[in-house]
Amino acid sequence: MKTNLAIKTQNLTHTVKTAADDLTILNDISMSIEEGESVAIVGASGSGKSTLLGLIAGLDVCSDGDVLLYGHNLSKLDEEKRADLRGQYVGFVFQSFHLLPSLTALENVMLPGELKGDKDAKRKATEFLEQVGLEHRLQHYPRQLSGGEQQRVAVARAFASSPKVLFADEPTGNLDSENGKMVTDLLFGLNEKQGTTLVLVTHDASLAQRCSRQIMMSSGKIIESLGKE
Amino acid sequence: MLAVKLLIREIRNGDVLTLLFALILSVSTVTGIDLFVDRLQTSFTIQSATLLAADRVVRSNTAITNERMEYAKEQGLETAQKTSFSSMVFSNEGLQLSQLSAVTGNYPLRGSYLVDDDLFGAGYSVEDGPSEGDIWVSSRLASLLGVGIGDAVQVGETDLTIRHYLVRDPGSTGSAFAIAPRAVINQDDLLKTQVIQPGSRVRYSLLLAGNEDALNQYEAWITPNLEKGERWRTPKSGGQGINSAIERAESFLLLAGTLAVVMSGVAMALASSRYVRRHLTQVAVIKTLGATPKKIAQLLLSQLAIIFLVGTGLGLLLGWLIQEVIALSLASLLSTVLPAASISNLWLGMVTGLMSLFAFCLPLLMRLFDVSPLTVLHPAGKVQLKSLQLYIIALTGMYLLMVVYTGGLLLPSIMIAAIFMVAVAIGIIGYGLFKLGRVLTSGAVSGWQIGLASLHRRLMGNLFQLLVFTLIIMLGLILIGVKSSLISDWQRQLPVDAPNHYLFNVQEGEVKQISDIADNLQIPVSEWYPMVRGRVVQINGQDADLLYTSDDKEPELLSREMNLTWSNELAEDNVLLEGEFGGNVNGLSIEEEVAKEIGLKIGDTLGVKIGGLDYQLPITSIRSVDWSSMRPNFYLILPQSILSDFPANYVSSVFIDKDNVQSFYKKMADFPTVSMLNVGDLIQQIQLIIAQVSQAIQLVLFFILSSAVLVLNASVRASLDERLEEGALLRTLGASKTLIRQSMLVEFGFLGFSAGVIGALAAELSLFGLQVFVFELAPSFHPLMWFLGPMTGFVVVSIIGLYAGKSVLTVPPMRMLRSL
Ligand SMILES: Nc1ncnc2c1ncn2[C@@H]1O[C@H](COP(=O)(O)OP(=O)(O)OP(=O)(O)O)[C@@H](O)[C@H]1O
Ligand SMILES: [Mg+2]
Repeated sequence: MKTNLAIKTQNLTHTVKTAADDLTILNDISMSIEEGESVAIVGASGSGKSTLLGLIAGLDVCSDGDVLLYGHNLSKLDEEKRADLRGQYVGFVFQSFHLLPSLTALENVMLPGELKGDKDAKRKATEFLEQVGLEHRLQHYPRQLSGGEQQRVAVARAFASSPKVLFADEPTGNLDSENGKMVTDLLFGLNEKQGTTLVLVTHDASLAQRCSRQIMMSSGKIIESLGKE
Repeated sequence: MLAVKLLIREIRNGDVLTLLFALILSVSTVTGIDLFVDRLQTSFTIQSATLLAADRVVRSNTAITNERMEYAKEQGLETAQKTSFSSMVFSNEGLQLSQLSAVTGNYPLRGSYLVDDDLFGAGYSVEDGPSEGDIWVSSRLASLLGVGIGDAVQVGETDLTIRHYLVRDPGSTGSAFAIAPRAVINQDDLLKTQVIQPGSRVRYSLLLAGNEDALNQYEAWITPNLEKGERWRTPKSGGQGINSAIERAESFLLLAGTLAVVMSGVAMALASSRYVRRHLTQVAVIKTLGATPKKIAQLLLSQLAIIFLVGTGLGLLLGWLIQEVIALSLASLLSTVLPAASISNLWLGMVTGLMSLFAFCLPLLMRLFDVSPLTVLHPAGKVQLKSLQLYIIALTGMYLLMVVYTGGLLLPSIMIAAIFMVAVAIGIIGYGLFKLGRVLTSGAVSGWQIGLASLHRRLMGNLFQLLVFTLIIMLGLILIGVKSSLISDWQRQLPVDAPNHYLFNVQEGEVKQISDIADNLQIPVSEWYPMVRGRVVQINGQDADLLYTSDDKEPELLSREMNLTWSNELAEDNVLLEGEFGGNVNGLSIEEEVAKEIGLKIGDTLGVKIGGLDYQLPITSIRSVDWSSMRPNFYLILPQSILSDFPANYVSSVFIDKDNVQSFYKKMADFPTVSMLNVGDLIQQIQLIIAQVSQAIQLVLFFILSSAVLVLNASVRASLDERLEEGALLRTLGASKTLIRQSMLVEFGFLGFSAGVIGALAAELSLFGLQVFVFELAPSFHPLMWFLGPMTGFVVVSIIGLYAGKSVLTVPPMRMLRSL
């Protein structure tokens, strides 16, 4: 087992200003995730799961404490550098898919590569779409695809940037169990094949079960961290 | 290049196209109107130049110096000369004092002579003046002398042959009073006649034609060193009536262009905010994929640059086509061909494109740079699109654009004030509705409160839409209002039976006889005015000669002998501005403009020299005079008690229609000392220009109103996303098509109707400002607008709304939901 740390947080606290007063969403969270792990963040609605995911993925900076992504302290970086890190290390899958409506399935998957200036983006994208079983839907627009198909395109797009960590916020939340299972299988399959670290937020107990670790949150704190073994 | 690739993919989506269309609309409207106005202006200049017989004229009481001519040659200007003087013309049967002009062979430089070979004929045009040995005489002179074509007449020491009857001398229509029948000869015969002796009253003209730069150069050189008795004349200093018509038409077209600017600003802002709203999440997603802010900015800005280039290019092209179409339809309506559009004027369209992007698009687009990637997880983190700052930037941009466009501050300020008024009014109405909603629903069950929250959200959207509708309706109404008051003002000023001949030098005993002749032919005669010549020599006891020593600054009132009259009643085209007027007032009445030139007020005294006698008279009234009415008008009106001691000539004006011209002219041959001046050509010219201008502004109005409908359409569509969502939801819940159609009709109908009412109010107020400050017309109330505004608002907005919303009703709700 590798012991490289993918993610580490130290006393992570996140406060947002609201009209009335300051609201502490995350309170003094310290934890670490090793490379190759698959971690499920679970907890009640409003407990701060999405916020934590966003912060450790470098989508925003926490108001206090540190977040280290492969040794890079995100709090000390500006958005420019954080975006670079995201491009290098991170992939996302969202509950509402977030495919670009003006791009075809193929173009959506090509986009991360194109942003990096990868000349081979098209070939790679085609391969990933084949892997998610959508080789016959390359030229279709998101509105022509079902939810499950859209999410598979999103998974292909996430893996197209060859991320070291893949973050997923309720990837099966909008799907029926059959499509949900198909997407989950894809995520774990690729996780194994490419050694990708997997961090996902879910309400789906069976999905959480398949992860090597579960982090349970409540009111902005981690109340339990369960290993599989 | 990635930006291009992404842009091309985006185009399939339509949002970019909306933005592009808005830009094309902005650029093409502004370009089209600007090019067209430029063509009209050039056309007016050419027509005015026709009246001047040249582009510019130096007029002098002494022979034109060589220096003047040399400089013209240096500047590459074409020159011609004309010498005007009065002289006896002799025939075998008699003699007649006539107004003669001697012209160089190339005169006129602009326009043409109208001559005929039949007495009192209508005339055909000839390019050049008479050849050596020839003379062209007016039909009136010919009949007075009892001669015809081919006969010889004698001018001074030389014999000349009559070649044509002179119908119109292009350079003479502007001069107020000719003294006698006319004739024109060649400049080379002038010396031979030996009529010009030291001390003769002669007017010399140097006519200039050429390109605008050279003319301006010449003007800059000559105006500071004009000698005593020299005058610089431009087409603008020509006929009064034409100038005010043209100036107002230019103001109208400028106004139209300004409104086009406002409208296209609205269109751009609408399209941009729609674009940005639909791209917020997309940009956030791209950011999660590792696009740095720099990369995002680079992508969006290069896309914007491409949109600018393509949109501006197509806009310029379309604008050019549109003005070409307007000009062509104008040509077929009036059988006049406008001069070609000048390509150098396209810069304004480019500036419009650029400013539109900077003021209406870029500030909104920059919000996209700041979108937090977190938006993908929390829609709450969305950017606020409608901020005060954005409105200020947009309004400032609009204002600057209008300033660039009109080259002045007045029109833009009035427009911005009007827009501001409308915004405030709508703000107040919206606030009232919102409060009302709160009051009605306070303490209601929680379902109501949720409903209220969404109503509030919708209320803001609806208010914004109301603002846009109102602005567009207001702009349309303003244009319609200005157009109709301009056209009716012109028609009032120059009715078809405006006098077209002046009669003067009429002796007291002849007045009755001539009136009888006119009555018999059913020719309307305006009032007869007695005319005595006199000169203003003192102002408040000081010698006028000492007050104004440098000659070029000498005010009109002091520069020459004046025609004085008396009258007990104010003429119908005069307006008493100050003081008292009437038979029992023992003072003089002065015309507004000449009084202003010297700064004369009621109570100042003028010393007037009449027939060798001096009179000191207080100013007792100030009048404004409508110089374009073609009736005799006077700078000074004196008490009858003073003037009646002097021998007077009478002057009047008549309207003679085509059928009566010959008979009247023939009858007038019995009054050899009476002079007639035909201003029919001048009037015709003015009427042609006015017809042209009226047609032009109708077309421009039509054009602007059509683009107004386009913008209305865009604005309805901008709100469609939300409505589509709602409509689809309602239908999945089982609402019938009729129900949805009814609710949309109520919503749009109400919006359109309210916009019409507020728009009519705002238009009425703006029209007041425009009429008083810009067009210098009497302010008027426009009842029609109060009907037109709400009606068109209701009808047009409902139709567009229902049409645009058709997809809500026809597309299966399933597909609708999926495409959202
Ligand atoms: N920008 C913000 N402003 C105000 N409150 C916020 C903001 N972001 C998050 N919150 C609040 O913080 C809390 C945690 O939000 P978060 O989205 O992380 O919860 P979650 O665990 O993902 O819930 P769910 O399972 O419903 O997605 C919520 O109560 C949310 O309303
Ligand atoms: Mg969440």
